[in-house]
Amino acid sequence: MIARLFLIFSWALGGAVILLAQPAFVGPAPSRAILPTPELQRAAYLARIDEILAWRSSQAKPGELFPEMTMIATKLALHQDAELCSRSVIALMKTPASGPFWMFPTVNVAFLGRDQLSLEARQSIRKAWSREMQIRGDTENHWVMYYTSLYLMAELYPHEPGSSWYSGKSSEENLAEAKAYLIDWMNLATTVGQGEFNPTHYIGEYAIPMLYLATWAQDPAMRLRGKMTLDWLFADLAENTLNGVLHGANARTDDISVIERGKALASFFSWVLFGNVPPIAAYGGWGIYFATVAQNYELPEVIYRIAVDRPSDYLQRDLKRTRRRWRNSDVLMAPIYKTNYTRRDYAVGSYQGGLADPIQTHVWDVTWDVPDPRGVHNTMFSMHPVSSSYDLQTYFAELPDQMAKEVTKEGKASYDSPDKFLGGSRFEQVFQDLDTVIALYDIPVGTRFPHINGFLSKDLLQLTVDPSGWIFAQGGSCYLAYRPLAAYQLRPVARVKSSMTGERASLGDQQLFSPYLKNGTIVQAAAVSEFKDFAAFQAAIRALPLSFQLATKPTVTFQTLRGKVVTCTFGAAPIVNGQPFDYTPWKLFEGPYLNAEKGAGRLTITHGALERILDFKTLSITDRVKL
Amino acid sequence: MVIKNITGPLVGLLLCSLGVAAPTPIPAYDFYVCANINRNYVIGSKIVTMNGVYRRDAAGAWQHFGYNDSGITAVAFDPRDHRVWYTSALNGLWRTLDGGKSWRMCNGWEMTEARDVAVDPNAPDHVYLALPDGVAVSTDRAQTLERRENGLPERGKYTQVIKVDRTQAGRVFAGCELGIYLTDDGAAHWRQVLPTKEMVTDIQQSPHDPQVWLAVTQNAGAWRSTDGGVTWINFPNVPTSRALYNVTFDVTQASRYAIGSWAHGVLTTEDGGVTWQDRNAGLPAPHRVWRVGVDPAGWLYASVFGETLYVSKDFGRTWRADALVGSVVNNFLILPRSVN
Repeated sequence: MIARLFLIFSWALGGAVILLAQPAFVGPAPSRAILPTPELQRAAYLARIDEILAWRSSQAKPGELFPEMTMIATKLALHQDAELCSRSVIALMKTPASGPFWMFPTVNVAFLGRDQLSLEARQSIRKAWSREMQIRGDTENHWVMYYTSLYLMAELYPHEPGSSWYSGKSSEENLAEAKAYLIDWMNLATTVGQGEFNPTHYIGEYAIPMLYLATWAQDPAMRLRGKMTLDWLFADLAENTLNGVLHGANARTDDISVIERGKALASFFSWVLFGNVPPIAAYGGWGIYFATVAQNYELPEVIYRIAVDRPSDYLQRDLKRTRRRWRNSDVLMAPIYKTNYTRRDYAVGSYQGGLADPIQTHVWDVTWDVPDPRGVHNTMFSMHPVSSSYDLQTYFAELPDQMAKEVTKEGKASYDSPDKFLGGSRFEQVFQDLDTVIALYDIPVGTRFPHINGFLSKDLLQLTVDPSGWIFAQGGSCYLAYRPLAAYQLRPVARVKSSMTGERASLGDQQLFSPYLKNGTIVQAAAVSEFKDFAAFQAAIRALPLSFQLATKPTVTFQTLRGKVVTCTFGAAPIVNGQPFDYTPWKLFEGPYLNAEKGAGRLTITHGALERILDFKTLSITDRVKL
Repeated sequence: MVIKNITGPLVGLLLCSLGVAAPTPIPAYDFYVCANINRNYVIGSKIVTMNGVYRRDAAGAWQHFGYNDSGITAVAFDPRDHRVWYTSALNGLWRTLDGGKSWRMCNGWEMTEARDVAVDPNAPDHVYLALPDGVAVSTDRAQTLERRENGLPERGKYTQVIKVDRTQAGRVFAGCELGIYLTDDGAAHWRQVLPTKEMVTDIQQSPHDPQVWLAVTQNAGAWRSTDGGVTWINFPNVPTSRALYNVTFDVTQASRYAIGSWAHGVLTTEDGGVTWQDRNAGLPAPHRVWRVGVDPAGWLYASVFGETLYVSKDFGRTWRADALVGSVVNNFLILPRSVN
């Protein structure tokens, strides 16, 4: 079985990551002061890019060939050591790899080195693209990397015959195919919704190729498309971050990011773009590739403001889509109705349940703000741990039996683990109203792992198991009430340290283990500032009317802290204040910051008086300052 | 490998595949596998072993040829010229016109993860491609490809296997999520001839009698048709609880079939499916058999997932380890040796 995951950072850096003197990573958390002018914002952005390049460049060993591409790209970006870069490229191109993760770094070096690398070095790259079969992969991020890389290389080497390309197609054929895919993907993402939405890691696999396209495409329309897509991605990132930390829901995340929310490549992008959170170690590896070209992107102030300047609570409802379903489904891609309610001290995010992605989906959580997210498990959620050949076959073109075990060897070590916290389930249905989440579970008999896992962080304060059935706690300046609907045990659980190896570490977190097929969770969040004290919060929660039954179809009726009466029944539409909740009118984006109609390909990004409209139908960017 | 005492079915297979009317001197046969040996490959890493198409040489050694790709699922040759061949692979469909020296990725971005490929022996310019979202057809040796799915279900057309009836141009079977579909007109129209709830995993035509077909499925057991695939009868003694991965005829004996299965290992029959035997003794446990094949001499091969290729000269009663250590074989193919 061919693996389908990103290669971890250590591979990206050739296993040579050294954390010495990585200033923003080892230094204090950045200030949250809002930079008032675009000039200051730009200067800070460029300073962060300089930090990355200086750090990576400083790791070169004198006199030695550069062992991998981030170092070469860094040196080329800094216009240093061209001769050594050339020799290093020639050495590396003797054993090219296959696939998009090899292609896009190579494109980076090919373009940055156009006027620096020796002829022999440039020819070695070109030759590698001739002889080494490139595997396209099977995910959207693979294809975006693959086709962006192919597009740019075909432009760089036009009018060359099929015999000179691994694909057997001429430069013009490669260019046309790549362009057609990229436009189709952009159209799909901007009219139907993004797949692989809000990924904690894979944002890099989209943002970096789009930056390349925006920088190096000769066709002005494709350059503009790259730029607009970057704006689109980063506006979505800004909307879904809490002081730089990307919260749930996520189409794809990993064992580590799902718990330590700040430890994600998304944090690198928040740091480099918004400056409001520390970056991860080694800038995530991929971040270096972004940095080498990042000066060519100018973050619109309106996006910066959305990320760092939230004058009030906000509710965003966005429409996304699942990964492509090959079988076991009535639809090729199912809609994802995503809710994001963000306040100063916490954010609640969710979608309606089910699998957005076969392995790495994260359906809902409450994530609370912390001054410095490094090492903090600032999140709460529950989930059904799925390990299912049926589900894997839905999304993968594979035979059934080997997959669940094989994926554990391919960077998803927890997939077949009963105490994992990563993944969605067809047997989970979620409804969110502001800062209330109701998750119901109806798990068929015979399902592998017939239980649900709740995550109770080591960083919760005042964790209290109340006789009322509620569990109360405090995370940062957020009060949390967690109501298991079935009996449970609290167990110490070791967090996965490495998605590749499955190595674990006991850090003090707890697993709420509930071995009942018909099950449910209610979580109500509130700001500490809303209550006199913790006891007052608990009293308020206890006073909320709640009834439920699990015997047939799990059903719960709960009056939220915000006064709405919500009835959720598994398999039925939620009822809010007596009215069935209808997802069908949802727009692509709807909220104070991002708005787009379904099918329009037109995103309006708003913050205060600032507005930017990205129109993929007319291929235009319109900026406006409202009077 | 030089095959002696070629029997009638092989002659029939040969003649049909070459479109020849009268007996001619019988060539030797080549035996091919599509093997993935680079099991720890991750997209983006280096492929460190040779994967793809292997041919067994006269000394019994497996020789790699063509390109190195760990995702090749099947290979098909132009019967007129064996320098022209096709592979279904992760990227889609690849074609060589020069015996594997140069290649062309025939599909664009609209097609991916091809599961199987077949050339029509009676219309060799016609190439059929099984895809996770249906079927594509070329009528010009894969220079161009088009979808031909009229009659396939809008959902449920995941196609794992595609086979061309060697007796009639344009008569093709597609093994899909919701059953076996048959076309008589080169995929212009499809009709369901066997419904299933989950995947049809393999379909094979008898080398002895072209009216006889076998099929195996993910959860509906094994089936046989004796009327050219129009109607199908279940083998009651083949388990249905777990997926069967493939089925093969023995080209040397018409009543011998073998089934490969991850859960059940190797199952064989020597009486045309009346009784079935578990033939796993001598295979490594667990018997995670990915695929079985029979070579022109009647030797039975079993690819045990990630182990090695095993071979049996007595149709599964005893086994010995063969080559391709650490491999997964996706396909076996017997092919008359070409003069080209």
